[in-house]
Amino acid sequence: MTTLALPAPGPRLRGLVLTLLALAGWELAARALTGAFVLAAPSQVLGWLAANPGLMARALRETLTNAAAGFVLGNLAALALAALALLWPRAQALVTGVALVVFCLPLVATGPILRVIFGPGAGPQIVLAALAVYYTTLIPLLVGLRAAPASWFDLVHSYGRGRWSALVHVRARAALPYLVAGLQIAAPAAFLGAIVGEFTGAERGMGVLTIRALRGLDVPMTWALATVATAVAMLAYVALGALARRLAPDAPPLLLSPPPAPARRQGLRAAALVCAATLALWWGAIAAFDLNPFFAKSPTDVAAALLTDADAGATRAKLGVALAETAAFLLPGYLAGLAAGAGLAMALVLAPQVAGPVMSAAIALRSVPIVTTAPLIVLALGRGAAGTVTLVAVMVFFPTLVACLHGLRQTPGQVMDVMDSFAATRLTRLLRVRIPAMLPAFFAAARMAVPAAVLAVTVVEWLATGRGLGSLMALSASLSDYDLLWSAVVLTTTLSALCHAAVARIEARVLRRYAPEQLT
Amino acid sequence: MTRPAPFSRRRFLGTATAGLALPALPRLARAQSSAALQLSWQHSVQFAGSYIAQDRGFWSEQDLEVTLLPGGPNAPVEPPVVSGTALIGISAADYTAAAVEQGAPFRILGVAMQKNPFVIASLPDNPVAQPADLMGKRIGMALANTPVLQALCTLNDVDIDRIEVVPTQYSAQPLLAGEVDCLLCWETDLPVAMAMQGIAAQTMLMADHGYALHSQTYIATLDSLANRRAELVALLRGELRGWEAYRQDTAAAAALTLQMYPDAGLDLPTQELQAERQVPLMFSESTDEHGFGWWSDAAVEDNIATLALLGRTVTPDLWDRSILEEVHGS
Repeated sequence: MTTLALPAPGPRLRGLVLTLLALAGWELAARALTGAFVLAAPSQVLGWLAANPGLMARALRETLTNAAAGFVLGNLAALALAALALLWPRAQALVTGVALVVFCLPLVATGPILRVIFGPGAGPQIVLAALAVYYTTLIPLLVGLRAAPASWFDLVHSYGRGRWSALVHVRARAALPYLVAGLQIAAPAAFLGAIVGEFTGAERGMGVLTIRALRGLDVPMTWALATVATAVAMLAYVALGALARRLAPDAPPLLLSPPPAPARRQGLRAAALVCAATLALWWGAIAAFDLNPFFAKSPTDVAAALLTDADAGATRAKLGVALAETAAFLLPGYLAGLAAGAGLAMALVLAPQVAGPVMSAAIALRSVPIVTTAPLIVLALGRGAAGTVTLVAVMVFFPTLVACLHGLRQTPGQVMDVMDSFAATRLTRLLRVRIPAMLPAFFAAARMAVPAAVLAVTVVEWLATGRGLGSLMALSASLSDYDLLWSAVVLTTTLSALCHAAVARIEARVLRRYAPEQLT
Repeated sequence: MTRPAPFSRRRFLGTATAGLALPALPRLARAQSSAALQLSWQHSVQFAGSYIAQDRGFWSEQDLEVTLLPGGPNAPVEPPVVSGTALIGISAADYTAAAVEQGAPFRILGVAMQKNPFVIASLPDNPVAQPADLMGKRIGMALANTPVLQALCTLNDVDIDRIEVVPTQYSAQPLLAGEVDCLLCWETDLPVAMAMQGIAAQTMLMADHGYALHSQTYIATLDSLANRRAELVALLRGELRGWEAYRQDTAAAAALTLQMYPDAGLDLPTQELQAERQVPLMFSESTDEHGFGWWSDAAVEDNIATLALLGRTVTPDLWDRSILEEVHGS
């Protein structure tokens, strides 16, 4: 009996086959769901694109330009903040705290104010794109800037150089892979931010067309927009990844650091500082832009609405009900997204051959606007908790996956050499070496994911379920109840900050053992 | 059809100088004032009267340069009007009443939609033709609109507890997918979308069942009423002429909308149908007699009654007819 010696299929061929299979599955699913008006087949998407190339090109150019401007501005801001935090370590808690607060501000509240400040044009789109990216770059960057062996810093000091030299010669290099992870997470987020910015009143762009398509029951147009958004996000992701491979060192160094000094009790002081800075910024913004007190409520207005006004009790009760509804979706969605992201990153290390198609699907999930996917998920899972939790998990999942994948690659080369000499299996390497090396990146992801989850749950509540804090904020904006809106904003932001603090506490305990260099 | 502008030395000098270089540069040296009109949604034939006014120069011939600011899902009309970014905003009586309750100094200067556009849309094989038909049905709507449904039920002795409210996105999809039996929506958007898909939805106009609430109302601040009257008059005069022209030829209005906003993703048949369907909401015996935008004292009383059902207390002086009277008087 002879066997035919077929060459093993190369990665390119395998990728092609998987892509074709995915397209066929998509086509079949769309045809099965024709009467439900939720999903268009790839053939319909192509048909729409062929019939409307000019319209799509103009919309894409507009949104892409705004997203790119926001991407650059947001990431430059992240770089500047990280440099500030590093050169002046005492300011770090303040910088990250205020950065978190600003990142948490809900779009329902900020969008209309940005429109008033900028007037007609692309201002709000660019700012919302920048706001969508700066935090997810800042956090991995701060981790990366510390991911260098203590001996290298000793070397810098032995030459009599200071912090600036350490930043340029040691930290910047160590931070590169983390920076790229941040940029890769940022690319689809900037695009989505620019789209959502168009909801504040724009003449053209992909967000304008998405709203038009959804209301007009134009399913092929809806999915053509989603497909183009996904393709753009994928290209950006791949391009940034290619850049990273050219810049990154071959094998990450072994990080050996002395155990950190016992933690000083600084939590409360830092929190007080962040609160003070936030209040100052809040008042300052109202004064600087001369915002009308009808819709720009000051901290004293909010305090009055919550504590001393005649209807303060009713306001608190409304907020309490909404908070309980939101929290019920938030925690399960957050944990599910985190587990899925970290779990999939590990699975990809064990089975790297499927990385291409899995990453494509993950980017698609992240870059398709939630307004497009929500009806499909609702159809599959219903309007109950399962649908909302899934949507939140999707938003948390992508940044976690990307950060963990980069973290897993930070395994020190020398340790892998040791593993080679013992002929250790992939699983052993994962459990003993890669996961401990991933932990700083994982916790960075877990912290970034807190505001992302809060944003996701409020957006889903606003657009789909009509319950909880997201819905309350949209309703109070449409009824001009800006006292209630800003009270809800404060509550949402406080919720994010508290969850963030809880994650940071766990992080500090774990990293004390596995990555002490992070705790200096 | 341009009216001759009053002669002035500046205009003479301007025209004379321009005449040396170029044969026709009208309005070169006119002192133009500018104002913005904040629309309540993205560009579509919903605002085609304003587009006609812009296109045919109904504003520029009054020396007013008007910017039309598009709205969107996250673009409430009140903040730009309060801040002065927009001179006039397109709102609705209930939103205006809520804003006034929160301290906004608004007045309603004109009413574009005499009849409220809210309908209950259903499919012909399971129709909602009367408010009583709602009982036992599942209705898809934003929970924010619960007071609207409650008002309809109170006006028609319907027990709201016998209606199952399903919070949905603003889309016809849940109705077509069979998730709900009917939708709370506008006469001029989701039913039109369904018609374009070949589905003739049944619509029950809430205005025909006691829900009297002015929509697409022109609002401005007291400050503007005191200090920018000439611009308010000029802006509304242009609107009025634009909408009268719209009524003469809705198909031309739809075509102009596509021509002026090619990036809005609109298609002509949909816009033509929508343009036709909003005519009966915008023009009535009262507007035939008094002109576009007019309202009667009786209509204000009905609006106040409906607003009371929505939990809003307002007085008749929320409506200010002085600008409209100036427009019609001149």
